[in-house]
Amino acid sequence: MNTLLMGAIAMASLVASMFFLRFWRRTGDRFFLWFALAFLIDALDRVFLGLHPPSEEQSPLFYGVRLLSFGLILVAIVSKNLRRRDKS
Amino acid sequence: MASGIYALCALTAVLCAVLLLHAYARGGYRLLLWSGLCFVGLAINNLLLVLDKLVFPDQDLSVLRSGVALVAMLVLLYGLILDSE
Repeated sequence: MNTLLMGAIAMASLVASMFFLRFWRRTGDRFFLWFALAFLIDALDRVFLGLHPPSEEQSPLFYGVRLLSFGLILVAIVSKNLRRRDKS
Repeated sequence: MASGIYALCALTAVLCAVLLLHAYARGGYRLLLWSGLCFVGLAINNLLLVLDKLVFPDQDLSVLRSGVALVAMLVLLYGLILDSE
């Protein structure tokens, strides 16, 4: 059951990533590129988590990748805010 | 090591949700609302991860965790497909 859910989450993440990539190509705004990259990494992480449920020793690696993905979202938001502040 | 990573995942997801919803409240750009709601779900997913791995290690909450994450992603997809133009 969990493997099925992981597959569905991975597909949803991949589709979200493609949407953000399209927004980036349309607008040229890097904010969307960071989001696309974050959700792509999340999709790959979920696939590996689904295929190879990690042991206690391995799990920091898998969840570290998730941390990287969330970190990219934070980078996107902070850099957008900084650019907005520079303009005003 | 592992407990620190789990806690950091939860913390960053909460931070993402707060910043995205705050940005939506300031700018009214609806994609930020859907992204923020998605991260509320992902924050719950990661808080459940902390509970699952650290507080209740004898219980398996993996299906609940994944179910919450899937709902969160479906909320984002709904926003991207039906409400992003």
